[in-house]
Parts: sequence; structure tokens; C-alpha cells
Amino acid sequence: MLGARSDLPLEQDESSRFIPYIIALMVYLATLALAGALVADSAVERWSRGLSGSLTVQITPGRDADPAERKSRIENAIALLDQTPGVTHAEALSDERIAALLEPWLGEAATSDLPLPAIIDVHVDPAARLDIQALSRHLADAVPGATLDDHQRWLRQLIGYGHSVEFIAALILAFIALAAGIATVFGTRTALAIHRNVIEVMHLIGATDTYVARQFQVHALGIALRGGTVGFLVAVLTLIIVEYLTEAAGGGLLPSLALAPWQWAVLPVLPVATAAIAMMTARTTVVRTLARMV
Amino acid sequence: MDQREPVVRFENVGMRYGMGPEVLRDITFSLPTGSFHFLTGPSGAGKSSLLKLMYLAHRPSRGLISLFGHDMAMTDRRDMPALRRRIGVVFQDFRLIDHLSALDNVALPLRVSGAKDEQIREHVAELLAWVGLAEHLDATPPTLSGGQQQRVAIARAVINRPSLLLADEPTGNVDNELGVRLLYLFEELNRLGTTVLVASHNEGLVKRFNHPQLHLENGALRRVLSVRRTVA
Repeated sequence: MLGARSDLPLEQDESSRFIPYIIALMVYLATLALAGALVADSAVERWSRGLSGSLTVQITPGRDADPAERKSRIENAIALLDQTPGVTHAEALSDERIAALLEPWLGEAATSDLPLPAIIDVHVDPAARLDIQALSRHLADAVPGATLDDHQRWLRQLIGYGHSVEFIAALILAFIALAAGIATVFGTRTALAIHRNVIEVMHLIGATDTYVARQFQVHALGIALRGGTVGFLVAVLTLIIVEYLTEAAGGGLLPSLALAPWQWAVLPVLPVATAAIAMMTARTTVVRTLARMV
Repeated sequence: MDQREPVVRFENVGMRYGMGPEVLRDITFSLPTGSFHFLTGPSGAGKSSLLKLMYLAHRPSRGLISLFGHDMAMTDRRDMPALRRRIGVVFQDFRLIDHLSALDNVALPLRVSGAKDEQIREHVAELLAWVGLAEHLDATPPTLSGGQQQRVAIARAVINRPSLLLADEPTGNVDNELGVRLLYLFEELNRLGTTVLVASHNEGLVKRFNHPQLHLENGALRRVLSVRRTVA
């Protein structure tokens, strides 16, 4: 009877009824934003790791698409690459592999009929200062139709895009934290106004500002945790559905939206952090308001 | 605190609400430690305002107020709760917390002082039984009569044995017999060392208990009637 209740009937306030819904919505959006940032971060890292230290030589097919001539050009290119200091490995992709890479875009039938370019996968020593432009010119002179792609232009754009996604997600998280704070401030101020008489009595019988603030912060923590947990669980469900739909619809075409185990482990930080923000905001609001009393 | 230092000392105190006229003017008096006084005067004389200054609900517009040897003008706001805990107040309008039971209302001063729930329940139940509310421990104030609410308010004011007890018309809603019992309770606290000031309209009780009076009229302390102790 004594320990189970608060001195202030905060649970009965109107503000206590709508704030958990707001918090749930904010945590839902924050979780999706953070998951998006984590997926973008993984993708950027994957692309960077996969493409650094690698080059691609593409040899366009001749007009008559003579297989012998095509083979000869591939061999010449590989010979030239093997002699280049800093190149550690050069290997032509098989026609089946090239067809498999193009299949998601062009379909199975199309790849079997089209004259496909030859692709040579080149590995270079990242420590070696390879003059890419000189090698490109040299290759174009020696092997007709050969072009060298170091992926840098594409990679820079992709990484820039990935960082933009991460920045936007961080911005969304900051706005959501701000919104959680603002909602808590207004909710707390409303509760302070509603319970002004009770707070005054508590004040007059010797309650410290901290004692009164503790009741508000415990209440704010409770409703933020309740709302945050619901929002988080719905967001997790959404992420699982999106992951499933992406896998089902995209196959190898769409980038993977799957989160790594450690990334799943990071997400619960959001409802906890939101509850902490709500708690601290409630405390600060109450202490500042009470400081104006006699 | 020095035992010779009065518990309450007012010097040329004036008080006004906002920009209104002074409701208290040039109030000078002191309450020695362990004294018992009545505060008398007609309605609107300023009795409740004087009590508000004493229980630190309001600041004076001028003059010096000293409580327990602390000059209130110089006392840090953070030190106020500790001083307030030494003051028990019976408000004229009770100011009970409606959603809390009688037991929890009376327990509040102990709880804000950090007392443990196990200790609280026993003491509070005993005191509520003493004021005749043993059957109403779990009743909330709206379900109690005016007299019962007043007794809860009195129990809340005395539960932590305050050094200074301020009561604003504490017998206004109870019959004479219970009024006498409550004043005996105040006298008992007074004997144990609590300084008591009771604002009352009840001339019969004031005469019967025969303590010195501070008499307010039109915001000024007109008379100090000393019966057993001299008010400085």
C-alpha cells in the first residue's frame, strides 16, 4: 500500500496517455533510420573492400566475333598485365561467369545470343604505386578494344551515396531525439501545471526538488520504456519483413538489406536511449520549474 | 541552534501580494523556543498571511525574518527543505492530497524525509488511531467529513515531531470536545519541546488554554497579551 504508489497521480494524466504513442512512433522511425544507416555502412565497407586492389580489363568483341582472335587478344592482355610491376594476378572470366553476372539485368535468353565482351579480373598490390593511366594507354595500344577500369569513379560515387544515407539517418535520429525531448518537456510541464497544488504541499512539508523530480523522471522513464519497446518491436518486425521481401524479389539484383548479428544487437540501444532522454528531460524540466518557487 | 535564540523572530516585517497593498505592516515579535501562543484577530486581519511567512510559502516585502536562527533573506534555497521539515503546518483548507489515503497523506512528511515504509506505517497508524481515524486509514480525503479531514491534516503536521507547529484554525471543523483533545495534543507536543502557534477564532478554547496571544488587526500586530510567558 505504501511503497506501490507515487505521491503524484501522474499515471492518470492525459499527457501520460498520448506520450507513449508518440514515443513508440519515434522509436519505430529511429530504429528504421538506424538500420538504414547500418546497412549503408556495411554496403560501403563491402564495396570498398571488394574493389580496392582490383582492376577490370574489358575487351570489346570484334565485328566478326572471331573466337580465335578474341582468345588471342585476351592472352596478349594477360601477358602484358603479368609483366607489369605491381600486378599480382590477372585472370579472364569464363563466358559462363560473365553470362551469370549479366543475367539479372538481361535475362538468360539474351545473354546466350549476345556477343559478350571479355572480362579480365586483375589483382594489384595495394602498396605498389601503379600508374593506372599509363597502364590503360599501354593496354589500349597493345590490345585493340581493351579498356581498363579501376572502379574509382564508380566507387567514389557509391561511397559518397552511402555516406549521404548515413548522414541523413544520423540527422533523422537527431531530430527524433529532439522530438522526444520536446514531447517530454511539454508533457512534464502539463503535469506540473495539473499537479501544482500537490507539488506545493509536498514542497511546504519539506520535499526537495530532487524528490519531486524523481517522481516525474521515474514516470517518464516508465512511459518511454513502454512506448519505446512497442515501437522497437514493430520496427524489428518491419525490418524482418523488408529483408524477406528483398531476398524474395531481388535475388542478386538488389543490394542485401540484411543486418549482421552485431547490428541487430545495436538496435535495442534506441528505446533505452530514448527512455534515458525522456527521463533526463523530465528531471531537468521539473528542477528548473521548481527553482522558480519560493 | 542556541537555546536562547527564538525559534521565530520578525523585525519590521511587511508583506504584500504582488503589487497590492501591504497586508502585514511592521510586524515585530519573536517566539521563544518551547513557547505556546495563540494568534488571534478578526477575519482578514492577516493571520494566514503571517503564517505563510512563517512556513516559508511567501517572502516578505521588507523586514527581517529569522527561523531557527537562520536569516531567511540570507538562506540558500537548497537549505529550505531542511528548515521546512522542522515546521509542522495545519493549513486552514487542510491541503490534503486527494488521491492518497489518510495513511499516505500523514506519511508524506516522513517519506520526504527518507523514512522507511516499515517504520512509517506503524507510527502513522498509531497517530491516526489517536485522532479517532483508526477505521479510516485507507480512506481518501474526498470520502472523509470535514472534521475527519482536519484530523488527518493535524496528524500530518505533527507526525514527525516538528520543532515549530503552526496551525491555522485547527479546530474550525471539529466539535468542542475534539477541539479540546487536539489542543491537548498540541500541548503535549509543546511539553516535548515543540514551539506552537495556533491561529484561532475560538475564544472559548483560547481562554480555556490560557496561552499568550499575538493579536492582529488590519495587518498590524496590535496587542501582545502575555499570560504565562512574555513575548519579546
